[in-house]
Amino acid sequence: MKKSFFLFLIILVCSGVALAQTGTKKKRPLDFEYGRVVLNNYSEKAGFAPAVFNHWLHRAKFTCRLCHVDIGFAMRAGATDIKATDNMSGYYCGTCHNGKTLFSGSGKVFEACSKKLSAEDGRRCERCHSLGRNVKPEYEFAHFTAKFPKERFGNGINWEQAEATGAIKLVDFLEGVSIKRPALAIQKDMSIDAKMEGIPAIIFSHKKHTVWNGCELCHPEIFIGVKKGTTKYSMVEIFEGKYCGACHGKVAFPTIDCQRCHTRQVVGSEKPM
Amino acid sequence: MDYLQRIVILLILLLASFDEADARRIVAPHNYGRVIIANYSERAGLAPVVFNHWVHRAQYTCRLCHVDIGFAMEKGATKITAATNKQGLYCGSCHNGKYTYNGKTVFASCSGTTSRNDAVCERCHSLKKNSDNEGEFKVFMEKMPRKSLGNGIDWEAAESSGLIKPIDFLEGVSVQRPPIKAQKDFSIEANVAWMSDVIFSHKKHAFWNGCEVCHPEIFPIKKGATRYTMLEIDSGQYCGVCHDKVAFPILDCQRCHTGAKY
Amino acid sequence: MRNKRGSLAIALAAALVVLAGAPVFSDGIYAAAAAASAQDDWKKEFEDICSKTQDSMSFTPDELKSLVGRCDALKPRIEKLEETQRKVYLKRLQMCRDLLAFVLESKTGK
Repeated sequence: MKKSFFLFLIILVCSGVALAQTGTKKKRPLDFEYGRVVLNNYSEKAGFAPAVFNHWLHRAKFTCRLCHVDIGFAMRAGATDIKATDNMSGYYCGTCHNGKTLFSGSGKVFEACSKKLSAEDGRRCERCHSLGRNVKPEYEFAHFTAKFPKERFGNGINWEQAEATGAIKLVDFLEGVSIKRPALAIQKDMSIDAKMEGIPAIIFSHKKHTVWNGCELCHPEIFIGVKKGTTKYSMVEIFEGKYCGACHGKVAFPTIDCQRCHTRQVVGSEKPM
Repeated sequence: MDYLQRIVILLILLLASFDEADARRIVAPHNYGRVIIANYSERAGLAPVVFNHWVHRAQYTCRLCHVDIGFAMEKGATKITAATNKQGLYCGSCHNGKYTYNGKTVFASCSGTTSRNDAVCERCHSLKKNSDNEGEFKVFMEKMPRKSLGNGIDWEAAESSGLIKPIDFLEGVSVQRPPIKAQKDFSIEANVAWMSDVIFSHKKHAFWNGCEVCHPEIFPIKKGATRYTMLEIDSGQYCGVCHDKVAFPILDCQRCHTGAKY
Repeated sequence: MRNKRGSLAIALAAALVVLAGAPVFSDGIYAAAAAASAQDDWKKEFEDICSKTQDSMSFTPDELKSLVGRCDALKPRIEKLEETQRKVYLKRLQMCRDLLAFVLESKTGK
């Protein structure tokens, strides 16, 4: 009996080690890989490679709000349940990828998913359905982002500054899709204290966030508490992908960059090494 | 059947204890921290790459390579290719024929010449080729303070005495941040009565690693949130991510278990 | 001659009746027009409600309650749409309604 218990323990420990979430360092995605979403609800079933969506190209042209609120994309891979018929009807990807929409500097946006496929269409399908295929991208990351102000981690780009300096101009309204509305009133910044001693407090800028997200993207789905301080969460939840971690760590700059948010120096703190 | 059961259990224990960073196999000082990278080299007609940590850790902090440049902390996990090096990523961040260290230009990695017998290639792609790592290490070691096991060098003393001055910033790659006050030292209780506690020094670790190497992936920021034992450490998790591979091995118990026992 | 003209007129009238009745057989051309505008009505209603989310903080609790009520009334109409439109607009309506409810809660504390 003792022996089998010991055996059971060994197996338990080994499996525990195998399933451990912490304790090891994961490989950091490269700057052009960061924000990549692989969609495979139906692709392989339909005989295509899974679709690869790179956030960097789209976030350089559109606000988060346009796609995630107006067009209605979910914030988790696979949750939107996009089908070829949806695209062909002019929804989701097909809202712009319809062979007709024109964007300045890009020309006509290629059509996503068509009923009848000819031999030449293979290349067009592969522009999205490219996982595992050696597809030469139309826009190359390093070249496209060469003049953008740089930062560390994530895409390696300071997207906020890129917009402020005019390197990118984000479209926030799509005719026939977006609802005409008045400009958003500017929300106040607020300070969030860190729970650990010595860690600088966070100055949360509503303004910076609403310019790109509007209100609906975060409230109430991501931030449910109506009064500041009602929802108790810590960095543990954030690292798990909740609250701030819904975007930061996946598309927006990752939370491994502590000082990007923890900016308010603790008064009288001693200088570390 | 009893002895059969014993053999089965013994076999499972042996298998469970076997892994590549086998602490029971003591590695020569000049080879400690050696990483052999063989993802694509042989397919490309080159010998696998031999990366020696001692050369680099004498010149740079762990943080610079593993955080700013983005190398993974597991052998073969970074998936470095000649293309990424040529782009100026990974090895190519410094090994680009332009970056200078101590007045010397650092040789370019994967320079794109078609000649595969280029002597430059073999500076890295050197497994089973003529490379004098041992000799070079001996010369380096002579000036360094000694400590048992691992590289045989007390890297911490080397740094605090100024014998080595690890660089923590790379132009065009690193971004300067206002420093966060280092967290206080704290003690970690040993799980068994006959081992003294560990006095963990954040200050000593943060010098080489900053915050980002360890947090939040290796160590969650809430103390006590994850329970782990020497078993996990020995299998290369938590402290074992570095200690036993590049930093001093865990065989040296009293290096960490320094708390007063009596 | 008269017969031909007569039969032609009857045929034309019959054709008109059929064509007019084609969209909705039982009710004829007016129902067709009504159906077409009802199609757009839900969209107009949706746009009218959800264009106000930006200003939601400036509304009174009563105004917000009425907007949330309008969202709830609109939902069954959206559920009758074809599959893709239904999927998209249910999600958009949900985000819009939830935000208005969120702001209402923050003002009333309920």
